[in-house]
Amino acid sequence: MPQASRGRFLTIAGGAVAGLAIPGIVDGAPQAPSESEVAKLYAGAKKEGLVSWSVAHYPQETAEKVRDAFKAKYPGVDVEFVRQTAQVIYQRLSQDLKANVHQLDVFCSTDEAHYVELKKLNALAQFVPVDRNMIPTQFRILDPDGYYQLGTLALVLVNYNPSKLQPAKRWQQLSDPRFKGQITFGHPAFSGYVGNWVVAMNDKYGWDYFRSIAPNQPKINRSIYDTVTDIIGGERTIGAGPDSLSLEKKAAGNRIDVYYPDDDTILVTAPIAVMREAPHPNAARLFENFFYSREYSQVLAKTYNFPLRADVPSANGASLDKIRWTRVKVDRLLTGIPEVVAKWRETFGV
Amino acid sequence: MASKLIFVLALAALAIMVVLPLGWLFYTSLQIPDAAQLSFANYVEAFTKSIYLGPIGNSLIVATCVATIAVAVGTPLAWLLARTDVPGRGALRALIVAAFVTPSFLGAQAWMLLAAPNSGWLNKIWVALTHAEHGPLNIYSLAGAIFVMALYNIPYTFTFVYGALELMPAEMENAASILGARSLRRTLSITLPLALPAIIAGFIMSFLEALAEFGTPAFLLIPARQQVVTTQLYLFFQFPQRIELAAAYAMPLILVTALLLFLQRRLIGRRRFTMIGTKGERRRLTPLGRWRWAALGAALIPSLVAVFLPYTALLLTSLSRAWGLGPVPGNLTFYWYRWALVDNATTQSAIVHSFTYGFAAATIALAIAVTIAFAVTRKLVPAGELLTFICMAPFVVPGIILAIGFYSAYSHKPLLLYGTAWILIIAFATRFLPIAYSNMTSALQTLSVDLENAARTLGAGRVRSLFTVTVPLLRSAMLSGWLLVFIPALRELSCAIFLFTPRTAVMTTVIFDFSDAGNFEAVATMGILIMAITLAIVGVSYRLLGRSLVEQPA
Repeated sequence: MPQASRGRFLTIAGGAVAGLAIPGIVDGAPQAPSESEVAKLYAGAKKEGLVSWSVAHYPQETAEKVRDAFKAKYPGVDVEFVRQTAQVIYQRLSQDLKANVHQLDVFCSTDEAHYVELKKLNALAQFVPVDRNMIPTQFRILDPDGYYQLGTLALVLVNYNPSKLQPAKRWQQLSDPRFKGQITFGHPAFSGYVGNWVVAMNDKYGWDYFRSIAPNQPKINRSIYDTVTDIIGGERTIGAGPDSLSLEKKAAGNRIDVYYPDDDTILVTAPIAVMREAPHPNAARLFENFFYSREYSQVLAKTYNFPLRADVPSANGASLDKIRWTRVKVDRLLTGIPEVVAKWRETFGV
Repeated sequence: MASKLIFVLALAALAIMVVLPLGWLFYTSLQIPDAAQLSFANYVEAFTKSIYLGPIGNSLIVATCVATIAVAVGTPLAWLLARTDVPGRGALRALIVAAFVTPSFLGAQAWMLLAAPNSGWLNKIWVALTHAEHGPLNIYSLAGAIFVMALYNIPYTFTFVYGALELMPAEMENAASILGARSLRRTLSITLPLALPAIIAGFIMSFLEALAEFGTPAFLLIPARQQVVTTQLYLFFQFPQRIELAAAYAMPLILVTALLLFLQRRLIGRRRFTMIGTKGERRRLTPLGRWRWAALGAALIPSLVAVFLPYTALLLTSLSRAWGLGPVPGNLTFYWYRWALVDNATTQSAIVHSFTYGFAAATIALAIAVTIAFAVTRKLVPAGELLTFICMAPFVVPGIILAIGFYSAYSHKPLLLYGTAWILIIAFATRFLPIAYSNMTSALQTLSVDLENAARTLGAGRVRSLFTVTVPLLRSAMLSGWLLVFIPALRELSCAIFLFTPRTAVMTTVIFDFSDAGNFEAVATMGILIMAITLAIVGVSYRLLGRSLVEQPA
């Protein structure tokens, strides 16, 4: 195929000019790197020594485990990361981009709309990881142009203290007066997961849903993971929380459990992307590629996240096929999150 | 020649540090995104929407209450320590210094552990003892935030009033007692009025600190569903970013601050007392008699709630594998210290950054302060008043707003500092320049010019006499001035949170990043580390200076 080889040639030439080994883009559509290209990425990454990563996908300790697994697989490449809520890491990134400052390599937000904005700004690099076909077909292609890929699958569900109360079985029940002073939430202006959930609830039940919960005086935190802290610390007893950390803490012996609400768990497809102007371009791509490795899925399974790969079993046998879930499409997130953040401020005061 | 060069350099630094960022801040407030002409539209939006007006009201309430409490506690405390024979005065003063150097956001984190409505340790103890349904404390409230901020503002009033009481000549009070005034009357009609300027200064200082505080409201008031000006400014930085609106919204904060400082000058200016006679007679300490121990108990309360309880909570949490399990044997571990100091690259580099940036900032601020203060006090340049004004101007600009100015001014060419360590170093130096400057000015004013003149007569140039005569004489004042920039720079959050990038994170920004998602152990560990370092520095400086940092040089 002459065209393909021309694409290859251009890539190699481009890579040679930049001193990089960056895998191919053929006529606009990105291709996964070959094994030898991955080896080249690793060689280049070792020279760069470091990948700088912003992540909202999971809590600090899970991110540390991902870092450690990456370093174990690719010795010589360090991972420097900041874990913060999606809107905070996005705010910092936009602030950097506005100032034309490029220090971040890999961006992992939980609000897919960020990637649409970043793509518009031409701030992302196209990259397709090896083994993308190892993940379920329906999530395989988040962006047809390959500017961002699925990084984590997470659920927003009801988490609660089983020794204190029966959970709400439907989201709608959170307005029940028996939950007065019991509820804990994250904040949609901080957490991308919470943003996804609030948009989903708003679209399903209208904003009155939240107005009806307001008299129950929920405690509003920043991160969705704060709900877990509130529940296991005894500050509150029920929340709209994450599956992963709740289950991990349950397994560690804490009084917390999850309920998959009958009116749908919210599924969030949290993406990963390499920055176009990444200061460590090889390490950045190697790191994204790692997200489709068996090792990464094993870390996810160990921390009660859904493994991305079909060949790694989940920790508790949970499977998306057995759960009633809905997912807010990215087009809706784009307008929906700013919209619900403003309404949230009106209803909850922050 | 050399003296001119040094002076011009200092002027250029002042322009970069103060004039440009503040100018940009104002300019930005008039900008409309994607529009060419300037307008006041941002001001209209910021000050007509009720959603933005609420936080202003809250900020004023919080600041007024914090300042009132700080003065109400700090003044009698200063009197007890300066004028009575309450036991353990040295230790009490050391505890107040410990409160003074504690950033209030750490106090807020500690009080979350102590007084969260259901899970707070104090509430749990209360419930266990009384079998009540709920504990009495709720740190997630306006009152809770006011309480925490007041705790760490008491040292300001204390320091000012203590200094005033120490410097007050004994003759007048002695005269009053000879004329038959009893202790209470003497205190109310002589001592308190003489200390009034210091009390007012303490009030204003705490008011401004509370107005500008970002960390504590972010920790305590978001769960309380309350917004203040600084947390609202933070929201303006979230997507979709409204930096122009933030700049406009910030302006009244600057105006209020400037107005207060102006009022302070007027008030104190009019009440300037000429105190005839100097340290002549020895002052007798008021004997408290059988009230001594009760007074000690009362004087310990502020330290108990500002230092003992919070540090105990932070220490126990930092030594717990999981704080929720409580301080039980199986839960004790050094894991988090190992994590912060050995395993985690981000925390390691943050510790190094905090030190180096603080060191550089203190050095820069001190160099500028010495140069300008020398030129102004020795009347070597025209427009001394203006220079003093510029050096003191950052004092009226809360950190979060200074950050907006710095970001507006230095996130583009020709001076692209954003993304480098320099923007943090210069921001820290600028924020705390007024402390260094006023410290240097007062030191220079007490220094006789005779020695310098002698050096000049013997043929030394201006620069040589500055470095061989003046600077050595100022050594101790310079060291304390340097430390008074270094220590606050180490614990600075509200500027740093907007100006750091992945490569320039400092300890406080790392603490802020761990503060959500329930990483209480990580926050506590970093907090204990930052305080251990700070207190060690304070201790060393005490040995070097022979006195505490918060005491005025005699």
